[in-house]
Amino acid sequence: MNAVTDHAKSSRAGIQSENVLQRMWRQRADYLYVLPAIVVMLVVIAYPVYYTIELSFFKTPPGLQLRDKVFIGVDNYSAILSSEVFWRVTLNTVIWTLASTLIAFVLGFGAALALHRDFFGRGVLRAILIIPWVISAVAASYIWKWIYHSDFGIIGIVLVQLGIVDRPPNFIDSVGTVLPSLIVVNIWREFPFAMIMLMAGLQTVPDQLLRAAQVDGASAWQRFWHVTFPYLSGVSTVTILLLAVANFNSFIIPWIMTGGGPSNASHIWITHIYELAFGRQRWGVAAAYSVLLFIIVMTLGYFYVRALSGNERKENRA
Amino acid sequence: MRNYQLGRALAHGAVVSALAVSLMTTSVLGQSVDISKWSPEYVRSIAGTEEFDTAEACGSVTPLDYEGKLTFWYQGVFEGDPDLLRQYYKDFFETFRATYPNIELEEQALTYNDLLDKFRTALLGNAGPMMVRLQILGGVEFASKGYLQELSPEDVGWKTEDFWPGAMKSVMWEGKAYGIPTNNETMAFIWNADIFERAGLDPEKPPATWDDVVAYSKQIHDNLGIAGYGLVARKNAGNTPYRFMPQLWGYGGGVFDEARENPSYQAIELNSPESKRALQASYDMYVRDQSVPVSALTNQQADNQPLFLAGQVAMMISHPSDYNVMLDLQAKATGGDAEKAQAVIDNMRYGQIPTGPDGRRAVVFGGSNIHILNPEYVDGGEVDEQAAKAMVCFWTSPEWSLKMAYAGSNPGNLNGFKTKWMKERLETIKFLDVTTSMLPYGVPFPALPETPEIMNIIIPDMLQNALTGAMTVDEAAEDAAEKVRNVTSGEGL
Repeated sequence: MNAVTDHAKSSRAGIQSENVLQRMWRQRADYLYVLPAIVVMLVVIAYPVYYTIELSFFKTPPGLQLRDKVFIGVDNYSAILSSEVFWRVTLNTVIWTLASTLIAFVLGFGAALALHRDFFGRGVLRAILIIPWVISAVAASYIWKWIYHSDFGIIGIVLVQLGIVDRPPNFIDSVGTVLPSLIVVNIWREFPFAMIMLMAGLQTVPDQLLRAAQVDGASAWQRFWHVTFPYLSGVSTVTILLLAVANFNSFIIPWIMTGGGPSNASHIWITHIYELAFGRQRWGVAAAYSVLLFIIVMTLGYFYVRALSGNERKENRA
Repeated sequence: MRNYQLGRALAHGAVVSALAVSLMTTSVLGQSVDISKWSPEYVRSIAGTEEFDTAEACGSVTPLDYEGKLTFWYQGVFEGDPDLLRQYYKDFFETFRATYPNIELEEQALTYNDLLDKFRTALLGNAGPMMVRLQILGGVEFASKGYLQELSPEDVGWKTEDFWPGAMKSVMWEGKAYGIPTNNETMAFIWNADIFERAGLDPEKPPATWDDVVAYSKQIHDNLGIAGYGLVARKNAGNTPYRFMPQLWGYGGGVFDEARENPSYQAIELNSPESKRALQASYDMYVRDQSVPVSALTNQQADNQPLFLAGQVAMMISHPSDYNVMLDLQAKATGGDAEKAQAVIDNMRYGQIPTGPDGRRAVVFGGSNIHILNPEYVDGGEVDEQAAKAMVCFWTSPEWSLKMAYAGSNPGNLNGFKTKWMKERLETIKFLDVTTSMLPYGVPFPALPETPEIMNIIIPDMLQNALTGAMTVDEAAEDAAEKVRNVTSGEGL
């Protein structure tokens, strides 16, 4: 036994004294396995990221070809940061992302808890609740556009016929209501995702632990807060991060429903970047915007990976 | 149904013909077209007087047995177009393939609002098609950047003087032609006579001026609770400038001096008192009177068509094809809806677009052009010029430039007016005369590379800023003028 332990210790000591190259050589088979994926990522991700960063330091006047771009250093960044539109679009993006993420998560959590209980028709209800997530975002956007229609939308007509309002509410043609209206659509689209993730998480909560807590006299709230919730913390973190990244990168719903309008009131970063690049051909400015967005999303990605690693460590400890 | 105001149209046409001729001609284009003679009567007199053999004409440009390959993107039919046009597009490609069986054709249709974005993106990666058919405001942008080959009607067997000079302007850059017009049109004004009558207006008398439009719209809304005028102010949609610019020009305003004789596009006039007055008219209808659809900020014309057919909008600027679109929509309706829609069609009237306070009438001179790309920007790095010229010749022929514009436009090649299909068209397409009578008032968009951004983004932004209250009318006009200044000087975001 001691001989085995000594051998293991000396192996570990040998590995620890290796430099990076030696370690890479020892793990060369692992690198070979992931090589195809790395090559693909270099081509489709690393190069575009590099090119976007490079482009962000150039001016690209709309009357010139991209190859005639002019180097201007960090002027695009300073122009963006001093622009009123940037801060307005950033505020929209923060509101959009936080509200969509948190409310979708809370609703998804509630739905997951409700559907975790066994009752008649649970399967059908679960299937119905998943519908918003599985239907095409493009189709959903067009449908919601008509539901919200400021003159003939079904919500407005119902409210008028019930005598609640005199004329249909203005959902998406007003600077004050357009963003909340779009967020509602986004939450409707996304809460089933949170629901599915958390339903999977609920399967991992040990029944015997809940029953033991019940025998010990814990109330329903205490069982949820002290037993269920800690088990869901990992999946909750991952779900929130995934929702946040998806919402930072949202495009379809605001672009199709309003095109960022009226009066830029529903522009979020991605729609604004798209308009700058493809509508106005300000490639350099759009690239600088993209770099800033990339930094934010990568930061979220870092926390996502940390959350995943934390989960793995917890599982290993268990 | 009746064509209204033709007599008055001709009288006004004579008055403005001198101005119109100057707008529609250019010194760089050799022999010009005398637009003043293009009255509805003249069009009727020449329809069906000549026959053209497309295969023979194009065979002399590219032999019919030519073997080659062609990639082609074009602005095709979209949800707002009539079914009739879909059939002609289908027929066109079938006929081309039958005429040139050895040309391998890969065509791709894109909608008006998507084509520019996709084309620009493809060009950045040198992955464009060999040829493209673009909306009229797009050609100069791409010609100025060197993406397009020089191409004139003579290159495919036609003559420059067989095309509207105003349309040829839209393919000219620094004195050279980079494309050929496929179709050109001017819009008109439609109204629902029944709604007019119920609102206490003369059902057969459209608003004469834009101020009348504001007043009529209010009266209709106040009396009947429905929208008077079908305002369109969506961003990134071609429909918005096509409907606002006639109003802007009518009041005497403009982005530059594009509505004047010999425009120089130097001085920005979007913040002139006349331009502000035009914007104020939209503000009055949307904010003060609330007499237009609230959804105007997200609507495009395809959204207003069903509203008009449902009797919920009384008047709007209308494409020539709208009548056929209404017929298509009516045919798809059932029960009481079908009867209601038919009643609207029966009460549909077409007239000329109203004038400004001083009698100035204007409309966008619209249409599309066809272009061949330079090989370095094409996917594969090669352009089969013979195959491309065969397609250009085919589409711009008298026959197909007429058929491909059958319900919604007019042939780019003026010889199309002389074909038997034009005669047939005059008998079957209602209100064609009215839109033809608007031709003398057509104003081409500024022939500048920055025009797509000005028309598709800055103008709608100006409208939205004023109509939402984000800015006052004055501020919105000044802001838009500043943006135009920035975009033309290459400054600002």
